[in-house]
Amino acid sequence: MTNAPVEAHDLVRRFGDVQAVRGVDLTVAEGEVFGFLGPNGAGKSTIVRMLVTLLRPTSGTARVAGFDVVRESHLVRRAIGVALQDAAIDPLMTGNELVRLQAVLHGIPRHVALARGGELLERVGLTAAADRRVGTYSGGMRRRLDLALALVHEPKVLFLDEPTTGLDPTSRVSLWDEVRRLNTEFGTTVFLTTQYLEEADELAHRIAIIDGGRIVREGVPSVLKAAVGAPTLKVDVALSAVDAARVVLAAFGAERPARAGRIAIGLPEGAAQMPAVVRALDEAGVHVSHLELDSPSLDDVFADATGRRLEGADDATAVGAASTAAGTRPTKRGRRR
Amino acid sequence: MAASQRRAGAVAQAYELARRSTVNTWRQPQAWVPGLFFPLMLTAVYAAQFAKAIRQPGFPPVDSYLDFVLPASVLQAVAFGATGGAAELAKDIENGFFDRLVSSPVSRVSILVGRIAGSAIFAGLQAGVIMAILMAFGVTIRGGVAGALVIIVTAVLLALGIGGLGLVLALRSGSQEIVQSTFPVLFVLLFVSGTFWPTRLMKGLYGDVARHNPITWIIEPLRELVITGWSWSAAGRALGITIALASLTTTFAFITLRSRLRRL
Repeated sequence: MTNAPVEAHDLVRRFGDVQAVRGVDLTVAEGEVFGFLGPNGAGKSTIVRMLVTLLRPTSGTARVAGFDVVRESHLVRRAIGVALQDAAIDPLMTGNELVRLQAVLHGIPRHVALARGGELLERVGLTAAADRRVGTYSGGMRRRLDLALALVHEPKVLFLDEPTTGLDPTSRVSLWDEVRRLNTEFGTTVFLTTQYLEEADELAHRIAIIDGGRIVREGVPSVLKAAVGAPTLKVDVALSAVDAARVVLAAFGAERPARAGRIAIGLPEGAAQMPAVVRALDEAGVHVSHLELDSPSLDDVFADATGRRLEGADDATAVGAASTAAGTRPTKRGRRR
Repeated sequence: MAASQRRAGAVAQAYELARRSTVNTWRQPQAWVPGLFFPLMLTAVYAAQFAKAIRQPGFPPVDSYLDFVLPASVLQAVAFGATGGAAELAKDIENGFFDRLVSSPVSRVSILVGRIAGSAIFAGLQAGVIMAILMAFGVTIRGGVAGALVIIVTAVLLALGIGGLGLVLALRSGSQEIVQSTFPVLFVLLFVSGTFWPTRLMKGLYGDVARHNPITWIIEPLRELVITGWSWSAAGRALGITIALASLTTTFAFITLRSRLRRL
C-alpha cells in the first residue's frame, strides 16, 4: 500500500450468492479527478459505498486518506466528503439549516458552521435560496447543495456518486465547472462515478471502466482512446440489408459492437476511405439511412474491453449526428472523445 | 481528539439532530394535528356520553368525566404520535438521508438520541397542550403542579417506550409502512384497558384483560393524582413502569442500530 488518497487491493463484495465486486484494485493519486465509468449495475456504487465506509468489503483491503476503511472507518469519515446518488436531502429543511447540521455532524462548532455555510452556499450559487425549504429546489439546485454539504469540512477526498444523473444539460455543465474549480483551486482529490461518457471525458484525469464488478480498462482517457486505434465508421441500414452491408464493409475494416440495425467497423485510414466505402455500398444496392465517422471514444474503449456499448451511450453522445442516404455525400465528422 | 471534546461534539450533534426532528415534525402539521384533535374529539364525545354514568356506584368520585379521562386523553395523544419519530427514521433510511448521517463522523449514539429527544420534546408539548385545554374546561389536578409534571413526564416516557419499539422496527426493516403497522396494536392496547372506564366496573374476560394491561397500570396511578391528590406511591408506579418500558425499548433500539451498522 502507498500513501495515495484512495487505494484498494483485491476488493470483493458479495450479496448472498451475487458477487457484485470481483477483486478490484485501484489507486487514485493526490489531486487527481478519477472517473469510474460503467453501466448501471456494474458495481460502481458498491465500490464507492465500501470506500466511504457504508458497506464492508467481503474481502480485500482499501485505504482512503491513509486510513483503512474497516479498521479506521471513523478516521476515513472525518477525511472524506460524500455526495451519493439521488442527493438524499431532507426536503423539509432549508439550505442554511442543512449546511449547519452537516457542519455540526463533522464536529465544526456552531458559530463557525454558520459562517462556513454562508460561504459554501455562495460558492454553489444558492445564497438567494438559502432560507427556502429544499423541497422547493430544482434537481440542479439539490445537486449543488449536496456538493456544498460534502465540502463543509474541507475534505481531502471527495466522492461523487453519479452527481449529474437526471440533471438537464445546463445544470450538468454548471456542476462540472464547480468540480473542476474544486480540483484546480483547492487541490481536492475527486473520485467520481458516472455512466456518462461525456462526463468522464470532461472531468477525469484518469478513468477506470468497470463492468460486471471488474475493472476492464484503466488509464488516461486520451491514451485509452488512442489504444483503440482506428476511427469507427457507423452505418445504419434497414434490418433486411444488414447482412449485405456487413459483407461490403468487411472489406474495409474489422467489425465493432453496435446496436441492432447499425454496423460499426474500424476504418484504418479514416476519412480518406469514406468515398470508397460509400461507392461500395451504393454498388451493392445497400440503402444507407445514416452514416458517421467517429474518432475513438470512451464508448469505443468500453466496447473494445467488453464487446458491448454503454447503455444509452449513442443517445448521450451523438451530438450533431447527420443523416445521409447512400449516393449522397456522407458527413465526415470527428469527435473530441 | 480528547474524550471530553468527543463528548461535547456528540452533545452538539444530538442537539442539532433533535432540533431537526422537532422542527420537521412541526413543519408537517398532518403528523401532529390529528394526534391532538382525535383524542380531544374522543374526550368530548365520551364526556357527553358518560356525563351521568359517573354517578354509578363504584365510579371514582369526580366532578365530571373530564377529571376521570384527562390522563387517558394525554396518553392517547402521545401514544398515537409516538411512532412518528420512528417513521421519520424509516423515511431517512428509505431516502438515503440515514446514509448521509452514517457516512459522516457523527456519534452513532447521537443519531438515536437526537431522534428520541425530538420525539420526547414533541410528546411533552402535546401532553401540556391537552392538559391545558382540559383544565380550561374545568378539570382540576388535585395532585397540584407536581402531579401535572408527573403526568407530562409519564407521557414523555411512554412516547419514548413506544417510540423506542418503533425505532427498532425502523432500523430492522427500513420501512415506514412496517413502523406504521404498529398503530392498530396500540389502538387495541389503549381501548382494551382502563383508559375510558374504571376496570373495577368491567366484568368477564374484557375486565380481566384490561386489569392486566400495562396501559391500565400507567393510567390508574395518574388518575389517582388527578382525582385524589398527590401520592408518592401513584407517582412512583406511573413513572416506574414507563421508565422500565422506555429503558427497555430504547436500549433495544441502540443494540439494533449497532447491529445494523455491523451488518453493512
